[in-house]
Amino acid sequence: MNDMIICRCEDVTLGELISHIENGSQTVKSLKLQTRAGMGICQGRTCRVLVEQVMTYYADESNIISSSVGTNFPIRPIRLAELAQNGKGDP
Amino acid sequence: MKFDLVVIGAGPAGISAAIKARKNGAHVLIVDENPVAGGKLLGQLYEVPDKGWWIGQRIAEKLVDQATSIGVQFLQETEAWGIFPGWKVVLENSETIDTSYVLIATGAAEKALPIPGWTKPGVIAIGAAQVLTNYHRVKPGKRVAIIGVDPLSLSIAQELQLAGVEVVGIYLPPINPFSQEKADPHYLLTNLAKMSHLAPNQLLKTAGKMLHNPFVKKLAAKWYPANGLKIGNIPLYLRKRVMEIGGETEVDHIRVAPINRNGGTVLDDSIPVEVDCVCLSGGLYPLSELAGSVGCKMVTIKELGGTIPLYSPEMETTQSGLFVAGNITGIEGAKVAMAQGNLAATAISSRLGLLENPSSALEQAISEVEKERKNAILTFMPQVEEGREKVTTMWKTT
Repeated sequence: MNDMIICRCEDVTLGELISHIENGSQTVKSLKLQTRAGMGICQGRTCRVLVEQVMTYYADESNIISSSVGTNFPIRPIRLAELAQNGKGDP
Repeated sequence: MKFDLVVIGAGPAGISAAIKARKNGAHVLIVDENPVAGGKLLGQLYEVPDKGWWIGQRIAEKLVDQATSIGVQFLQETEAWGIFPGWKVVLENSETIDTSYVLIATGAAEKALPIPGWTKPGVIAIGAAQVLTNYHRVKPGKRVAIIGVDPLSLSIAQELQLAGVEVVGIYLPPINPFSQEKADPHYLLTNLAKMSHLAPNQLLKTAGKMLHNPFVKKLAAKWYPANGLKIGNIPLYLRKRVMEIGGETEVDHIRVAPINRNGGTVLDDSIPVEVDCVCLSGGLYPLSELAGSVGCKMVTIKELGGTIPLYSPEMETTQSGLFVAGNITGIEGAKVAMAQGNLAATAISSRLGLLENPSSALEQAISEVEKERKNAILTFMPQVEEGREKVTTMWKTT
């Protein structure tokens, strides 16, 4: 089961997530930053809930600092040009 | 131009709200990322006892026609990627829309249900099967297995069968970090009974009836026939798990293992079952990224299906002027979503000074939400009432 893919955009397997927890990851954010789970094109819409479930299932409760991860704008992929133009008048 | 109200999401909640607010005299824009307005309504198709068919696509068309005819503006295939104070809604073409009020009605997304082989071509979410079959009129496969037992998968199983798809069975997922109570036959038996109150189809009713007898309910998990019960023509296997989805380049079989009377999975007795499509039903969760990113206070309430923005009795979030309605506040049916949309629009109309008698209008809109919840023919979350009470309590202490 460990070779099952959890983050489909970034090809992160369950085994990789578990090994980072065993190596001391205490927040979902650190799991995300170390494996890139949730950082692909869908921005975690499929795997965010799954990575949170992996954290609470495999980590000792006393070791968990945060079992959820927040969201930020932009909530959908956008072009850099759009970001650069936003609210700044002429580009 | 500045709008009075920008609604994000053209589903049952969003369109109902837009109609209500426009009727009261507000200038309203709906922004929606899909090509066609209607949201989840577009896929819904089931028979309501004594009332005939609920054809979501027709209901959506009627709502859109009504909205358009009174001057609600629609922007389809347009993503809103941010909301900034003032309020400003930013669209994907970097256009910024100024508005006095925002209603976030982004609905829900499907929870993935990973099991070995779940990323192979031919494995789809149950909601995708529903949209393919009922909206696009395309069969997702010839021989389909469904994994995950819940009101959604039971009714879509019947819809697939109506469309001429052979549903080989509805199975439990394996026990893993993601399946949780979906892998527990006893939980499913007790909750199916609650969820099938006034069920929309024979399938749900039969499952419910079987369990209303307390004696049956108690023993059911143990004595539920190993070969399943045929509900309609579809076998519902509460004592079989799909351990793996197999196939070289795409799905060609599932591996099914029996569950013995003590609840253990007998891997040695597992057999392959030939299928060309597998539908995974992991349930729904509220899609609340916009609300979370703009700084609304978020709360996780399991009874409502996940993390939601905390909201007032008038559907306002902790950010003044930002309202929510529909499945972003918890997983319920389309009629509740519509009533919530009405309520939010009534509150917004009242703030805009468009109502002569705001308090009685609000009171009525609140009671309509409660009425629709009571009369709901599908209950997705068995403890939804408790979940709503938690929200009320949390709001008071905020």
